[in-house]
Amino acid sequence: MEVLDLGVALYEDVLEEQKGLLRNRIEGGIPDTLILVEHFPVVTLGRLAKESSIIDRDYFMENKIPVVKTARGGKVTYHAPGQLVLYPVMDLIGKRRDVGSYIDFLEKTVSNALNLLAVPAARKGKRRGVWVRDEKIAFIGIAVKRWVTFHGVAVNINNDIGPFSRMHPCGETDIRVTSAKECLGREIDMAEAKKIFAEQFIRDLEAEYGNKYEHWNYSGSEIAGTF
Amino acid sequence: MNTGTIVDLRLPELSENGGETVITAWHVTQNGYVVKDQDLLEVATDKATFDVPSPCAGVLIKILKKEGEEVRAGEIIARIKVDRS
Repeated sequence: MEVLDLGVALYEDVLEEQKGLLRNRIEGGIPDTLILVEHFPVVTLGRLAKESSIIDRDYFMENKIPVVKTARGGKVTYHAPGQLVLYPVMDLIGKRRDVGSYIDFLEKTVSNALNLLAVPAARKGKRRGVWVRDEKIAFIGIAVKRWVTFHGVAVNINNDIGPFSRMHPCGETDIRVTSAKECLGREIDMAEAKKIFAEQFIRDLEAEYGNKYEHWNYSGSEIAGTF
Repeated sequence: MNTGTIVDLRLPELSENGGETVITAWHVTQNGYVVKDQDLLEVATDKATFDVPSPCAGVLIKILKKEGEEVRAGEIIARIKVDRS
């Protein structure tokens, strides 16, 4: 298992990084890899997103926040520094060929990690994502090729959640969005958050799929923080 | 697989929970030649996209489900005539 910390990076650069890892993972040349990253501000539209889900397009134009169409599942969301994004590039063949249970797993591990940060996050019945009571804190959109996953889950830690009010996040018109910072009334150290999420991810992966990761590497990348 | 055999391409089971799946893109056209494991189409569920690969080399002789149509696991979405060469 590799954990790759890409720092703060452009959405498009990280997508290219993911595609490279995806090809290598399909060919069996690399182990399962978890990317941790924060993106520069960007709005992304998943495959089933409607342009009308962006309510205030002028706001994003005036603030030079690009809108990017992407091949992940899900609808519209927003990324910015202070939000922790997890992109697992993982082979499900050696685990369980079930996309639904993989999404369940992502929700569980994000909830568990947020709980360790003292955020009372949980899953919410059949509604996807991770929630703090009735407020959404984490957003899922994945893609699977040859049963290898890419894209993933974005978790609001310290980021400004204001821009979410200018869209219908995940295409849902009835939700309010929150962050760990808003829940706790203080900022969270991102390096500490990354460590907690990575370690919890590996623990939950072992528990969910029975894989054993006795050794795992944590490293940065040449594209991290270069923009 | 015998040459000339017609193979039904079925939507694989993506999730035990089932749910709605929509065809979001065909990457090949009808009567096009395809190779084994080539991504033929993309389908999407609520939170995931999934590329369906070709089970064999041959000619995609019939597309039965078009972009935007809902499909269910096990449903036939196309037919492939297995390559003679």
